[in-house]
Amino acid sequence: MNASAAVLLDRARTSAAALPATTLVVRPGSVYQLGLGRMTIEPEAREAAEVMARYCRGDAAAFQRLYALLAARILAYLKGLLGDAAAAEDALQLTFLKVHEARSSYVIGANPIPWIYTIAHRTALDEIRKRKRSRVKLSQGRGKEGEVPAEPIAHITGVAADVGADPAAPAEPGPDAAAAAGALAALAKLPDNQRQALILTKVHGRSIADAAMITGSTPGAIKQRAHRAYVTLRQMLGSKKEVA
Amino acid sequence: MSDGKDKDKDFDDRVLGQATGVDAPPPAPSADLLRAVEGMKPVRTRTRFGALAVVGLAGLVGPALALLRTPMRRDWPGLPIGWITAAVTIWGLAFAASLVAALVPRRGDVLPAPSRASRVALAAIGGVGLFALLATVDVPGMSMQPAERGWTPFEACLHCIGTIAKVAIVFLIVGQVALRRLVPVGGSRVGMALGAAAGAMGGLLLVFICPFASTSHVVLGHVTGVVLAALAGAILMRLTASYAVALALLVLIAVGCG
Repeated sequence: MNASAAVLLDRARTSAAALPATTLVVRPGSVYQLGLGRMTIEPEAREAAEVMARYCRGDAAAFQRLYALLAARILAYLKGLLGDAAAAEDALQLTFLKVHEARSSYVIGANPIPWIYTIAHRTALDEIRKRKRSRVKLSQGRGKEGEVPAEPIAHITGVAADVGADPAAPAEPGPDAAAAAGALAALAKLPDNQRQALILTKVHGRSIADAAMITGSTPGAIKQRAHRAYVTLRQMLGSKKEVA
Repeated sequence: MSDGKDKDKDFDDRVLGQATGVDAPPPAPSADLLRAVEGMKPVRTRTRFGALAVVGLAGLVGPALALLRTPMRRDWPGLPIGWITAAVTIWGLAFAASLVAALVPRRGDVLPAPSRASRVALAAIGGVGLFALLATVDVPGMSMQPAERGWTPFEACLHCIGTIAKVAIVFLIVGQVALRRLVPVGGSRVGMALGAAAGAMGGLLLVFICPFASTSHVVLGHVTGVVLAALAGAILMRLTASYAVALALLVLIAVGCG
């Protein structure tokens, strides 16, 4: 590379770093529409890879940029898995701390987004396991008659199912608030693995291959779970519509 | 998607995006996180083939030494060259493909894909299993029977499984270290591929040095060894979360093999 090209590249990098944080664009395209398209060809993947490379070279500003790029969607994913906004925020910090500690494992040029999702997924599973253990201990401590209250049913966003009664809860934006609330209630009833597949592929726009990588599953299983979740969701929302 | 199709749906897909609140603003990075980032230094990152090179080279030392120090099987001169080529190719391919699937991420990925790893490992085990079942060559008068060494067929199989275990242990230990913190999920699938690769290398070594050539011995001794190595890899990698347990188990196995 000659000197002028290097200067131009440096300028481009500097201007990219100076850009304001992008707002997250939700891509609610159908699982079947998204197909197996790989994230690597998308501009956001290229940007994330470039930012991650700078981060690995010790650029602290690159970390801020990476956080701005990914924190919102990782937080939403964690809320979906944990069903608790506060726990999700803690897990988000832990996820980025793990990313920081494991940054030497990154392969320069690779798309870091599925990798960070994978770390978040694992962090959430660890948290869920920890909760289960503490729940078992508590029930053992209480003896036979002691009953631990079930964890509040939470929606995919981490908002409790009875959030409607909470005056502090933010109102659903937009004219479809009722439909969104119905979708939330239906999502909360899905089995964990189906919900994970649906969230990753439909809500977060991950490819089937990425979702399989993130959950440590197979693409076939992800397709099947997402399909089942979608069918169940349609039935549930359809029946609600009829009842209404 | 056409409007007509949208109307057929019970709900609009967009409602899921709205419902899940993906665009909610995240909290600022915590003080701990910022402190960690502030003091950071440049790190040397991984390369796609780095782990493969390390694990492959470390694991191949043992089989290479064994091949140099152990006499070739007694029926070696009588074996058809075509069969030798096919056997080396199939066992070697099973080794290489499984090892690559376990350790090399796809282009553009950071982690090895667990689903690909398990698929390749199963195909590799199936391939060597079929080859052992359908294409094992016995040279009458030259191939040895277990009784000639005073062993039962079961003891002969155990001996070969032990040889495979000795080869596999190095791959599994080095592989565990190389994959440290790399497979947060799907570890058992990746471990299965690593174990299958290690077992296949053991099987490849036995093509040269195992004097027993009956189909039953090769299937029950050699292929079973590969299956057991794959299982051991899957279990060990699953335990990687509690790293001390995995290492303790590996040490125990190594002591047992020794």
